[in-house]
Amino acid sequence: MQLELIDLTKKYGDFVALDHINVTFTEGIYGILGANGAGKSTTMNLLTDNIARTDGQILFDGTDILKLGKEFRRVLGYMPQQQGFYEHMTAQTFLFYMADLKGIPKRKAAQEIDSLLEITNLSHVRHRKLGGYSGGMKQRVLLCQALLGDPKVVILDEPTAGLDPKERIRIRNFISSISRGRIILLATHIVSDIESISDQILMMKTGQVVKMGEPGELLDSVADKVKEMPCPPESLEQIQAQYKVGNIFNRHGETWVRIIGDQLPEEGRYVEEHLSLEDVYLYYLGE
Amino acid sequence: MAEWKRIFGNRRICTALLLIFLLNGFLFVREQVENDYGMDCELPAVEWVFSSDGDIELARESVDSRAVLTRYLALTDEYKGIAPSEASIFWEAEKERLAELLDTDASDETRTEYAAVNNLLAQAEYLSGYESYLLSIQESKEQLLSFSVFGDTDSFSGRNILKTAEDFEVLDSSTLTIGADGAVTALLEFTLTDYLLLVAIILGCIAFLEERKKGLWNTVHATPNGRLRLALQRTGILFFMSAFGALLFYGTNLFIGFSIYGGADDLGRAAQSVEVLGKMTIPCTVGQFLTFYLLFRIGATFLVALLLWLLFTAINNVRYTIIIAIGVLAVEYSLYTFLPVQSGWNLVKYFNIFTYISLSDLYTRYLNIDLFGYPVGIRMISEIAWLPLILLLGLVCIVIHCRKRPATGKDLLGRFAYGINRMADCMLCRLPLLGMELYKTLIIQKGVLVFALFCYLASGLSYTVSVPVSTSSEAAARQYTTELEGEITDDTLQQIELIQVELDAVIAAYSEAVVQYENGEIEYSQYDVFAREAEAAQTKSEGLAIVRERVEELCVLGNEKGFAPWLIDESRYQGTYGEEARSNQQSAAFVALMAITLLLAGSLAYEQQSGMNMLLASTLRGRGQLFRRKIALAVVITILVWAIIYGREIYVFWGVCRADTLAAAVQNLSILEDFGIVCSIRAFLIGLYLLRLLALFACAMLTMLVSAFMKRMDISYIAACGTVLLPSALYLYMGLEPLRYLSLVLPVEVMPLLTDSKGGGYVIIAVYLLLVILVGICTCSLCKK
Repeated sequence: MQLELIDLTKKYGDFVALDHINVTFTEGIYGILGANGAGKSTTMNLLTDNIARTDGQILFDGTDILKLGKEFRRVLGYMPQQQGFYEHMTAQTFLFYMADLKGIPKRKAAQEIDSLLEITNLSHVRHRKLGGYSGGMKQRVLLCQALLGDPKVVILDEPTAGLDPKERIRIRNFISSISRGRIILLATHIVSDIESISDQILMMKTGQVVKMGEPGELLDSVADKVKEMPCPPESLEQIQAQYKVGNIFNRHGETWVRIIGDQLPEEGRYVEEHLSLEDVYLYYLGE
Repeated sequence: MAEWKRIFGNRRICTALLLIFLLNGFLFVREQVENDYGMDCELPAVEWVFSSDGDIELARESVDSRAVLTRYLALTDEYKGIAPSEASIFWEAEKERLAELLDTDASDETRTEYAAVNNLLAQAEYLSGYESYLLSIQESKEQLLSFSVFGDTDSFSGRNILKTAEDFEVLDSSTLTIGADGAVTALLEFTLTDYLLLVAIILGCIAFLEERKKGLWNTVHATPNGRLRLALQRTGILFFMSAFGALLFYGTNLFIGFSIYGGADDLGRAAQSVEVLGKMTIPCTVGQFLTFYLLFRIGATFLVALLLWLLFTAINNVRYTIIIAIGVLAVEYSLYTFLPVQSGWNLVKYFNIFTYISLSDLYTRYLNIDLFGYPVGIRMISEIAWLPLILLLGLVCIVIHCRKRPATGKDLLGRFAYGINRMADCMLCRLPLLGMELYKTLIIQKGVLVFALFCYLASGLSYTVSVPVSTSSEAAARQYTTELEGEITDDTLQQIELIQVELDAVIAAYSEAVVQYENGEIEYSQYDVFAREAEAAQTKSEGLAIVRERVEELCVLGNEKGFAPWLIDESRYQGTYGEEARSNQQSAAFVALMAITLLLAGSLAYEQQSGMNMLLASTLRGRGQLFRRKIALAVVITILVWAIIYGREIYVFWGVCRADTLAAAVQNLSILEDFGIVCSIRAFLIGLYLLRLLALFACAMLTMLVSAFMKRMDISYIAACGTVLLPSALYLYMGLEPLRYLSLVLPVEVMPLLTDSKGGGYVIIAVYLLLVILVGICTCSLCKK
């Protein structure tokens, strides 16, 4: 199973939202990182055929998804970023409705809905109207619907936004557990989610993929690019102007900064352990 | 000021208030026109010469109400100074003179003059009789007290008799005079304004719930000015809305009333000179009454507004708040409307929110209720209770606003609602996609309320009118047509001849009787019998001639066009499908259009508003199949509306028509003799109803097309109403003729297009069909995107 983006381009007038993207996804979890406007949601919308592409191809097992049409949507599970809902429906009715739209037989749908509501810890509120749900609960319902029908391609846009840490870990582990035999694309701002479950990470900036690789490779790629150094508060502004600054923290009564870049000052010390994807993010995508 | 800006800067609220205001003005004017400007425009009935035992109705003559009003106002102005008793005698004589004149001169001028004088006489009779009315109250007091049942002046009945006499005694010195009453009468009798103003106030109160709906209540409550200051601002806003609304709505009615009826110069007359105020026991002038009425109206509106605000703020959950507010209003309205006047519970009937809404009743009716054995006037209760209630409610509202904590309050109904939802879920999870779309439309989008309103309106529709005849010979012709109804054969012609022979014999007998009477062979009474019979026979003969002529016409037409001629009593068809029933057909079509528009306007906009479009489009059946289900739903709703409206029409028509005549060619009906296709009436009617269904479906598609462009449901409703209903409403109810062909009522009623003798109607039908296809294609292509 393979999903290929070939020269995928999307323009809104003169603005290029996606610029000749070439990526191949095989089974596994792919984390997509990027700032707002980097092209993540545009990629998701092109993959779900919710917007028309300007150029390029999206091939699923060698056939364009536009040609596949229904056949591709049959294997697709999509969780959008914005929480669009029928607020007056209960979670159960909403999931049955979505199951119907996905062409899942009623009996099978009932089993899947029970199981998914259990996993997402929503069983006890399944008959409550969605309008009365918290943001996190809505997020979990959306995730449930995306996973209905055993989809082979799962597109998750910010799946853990609004969840408390316990729920986030629970959902994250669940996504990880179902990744076998599926292509899961996961776009998020929460770097730690991607760090812990992604097989591959795509770093997007201004409509282009600037880096792609396994989390370990990416961390290795910034091994000599991160330094921590003391910084008097009056120099902070100057440092921020010169370097990409990560954390600012206090150590032994002094203010320290974590800076990332190719050319770093001589003072301070390189960080060799405890490198994080945040450093990678800042290195590749920071301004 | 921020709260003022938030409320009055909200475009949706302002647009809704403006629409309500315009609707009020429009309906007020319409009411005046429909009520013939309060004029009795009927002339004395024409003498009924030919008596029939059938249901043939002779047209009563009437005159143009506007002309009568103009003449009435001119005469009122002319005779303003004259005493009512003199005027009564004068106009009585004038009426008799004009009634006689009508027999010889039935010109419009004479008829208008007669009707105007008749109305003036009615006013003069009321004014001149008022003194006697007051006297009769005092006399009744003496009489009633002399009965043992009422004689006990320590009982409610006795006290009530004394109080009534005492209340009316103050009016003894009032001098009633002639003048133009229309404006004041219209102001007090047009009760719809009360309810439209209530809707406006409810909109204002609902705007106060915005922060709760948007989840901002906690934030607002935590700000320094979010409690007392905000509560005071809201009280101010409610007062402003009440004062401005009452002055604007009732002031407009009064202004329009003065423009139509005059009377702005007659404000110095005693208020009781206006007949509807005859039972008001306050001695004052019309001007004083109007000033007091408007001021009290402001106060009453403010009181109602405070009560609504209290209902809306007392409960944390917005949904329950609205349900409870509706429940309270429904209970109050039921008590106010359905509780008998003499009920022991009539205190709750009159000490009621609707007493303050329907304020006019306090001044147009005199009624004392039993309060612990003492009679108390309903007006007095309302006036005395008004100020303390305002202070109390204002205080309670402010306290609740300040003290009620957003994060507290048990969701008492939550568990109950969860149980209901569980049961509903059991059912809903079994529904197919079409069923779910129906659920979304009827339940989630509150279509069930629209449907209930539709059923209510449909139940009030009438489908047939009796087609009156204007002469007795026409009445005779109709009776013979009914007797001879059927396919025209030699037998029909023979029957006509036989009847003619019988009638000729009666006329001949009269000729002989004339000779016999002149020769003194018979008495006058015998002669008179012959004369009457001959007169009736003559009329019948004229009627028969009309039938014969029609039979001959049909035979010629049948030969020309190749259909079998039938003699049919057309009044049944005309009464349902003809020009006479046009107004009925238009109303039916408009109600059907309204139902379809309001049920479907939210269909596609709801997906946009919910933000579900992208998610739906990513699913297997979320594009083509879902769209097809929505179209199927539109078809189901269209058929349902069509069946309810036109099913009843068919049922009613079936009750009046003779079934065998349906087999006759449609060209046998004079209204359809130019119809291009030779077919039976049955086939024509089937075609007619199918065309109506198609037209309704086209409107459904148009509504969905509009809905597909809209991102919010409220905008979608406004746009759909503007596109589908507004041209029809302006054409039908405002008489804007240029909008006739933009009005979708026309293709739905279809008949005017099919009966267009010039053939232009067919072209228009073709154009409409083309538009149906185009709209359908556009809707499909847009929704598939």
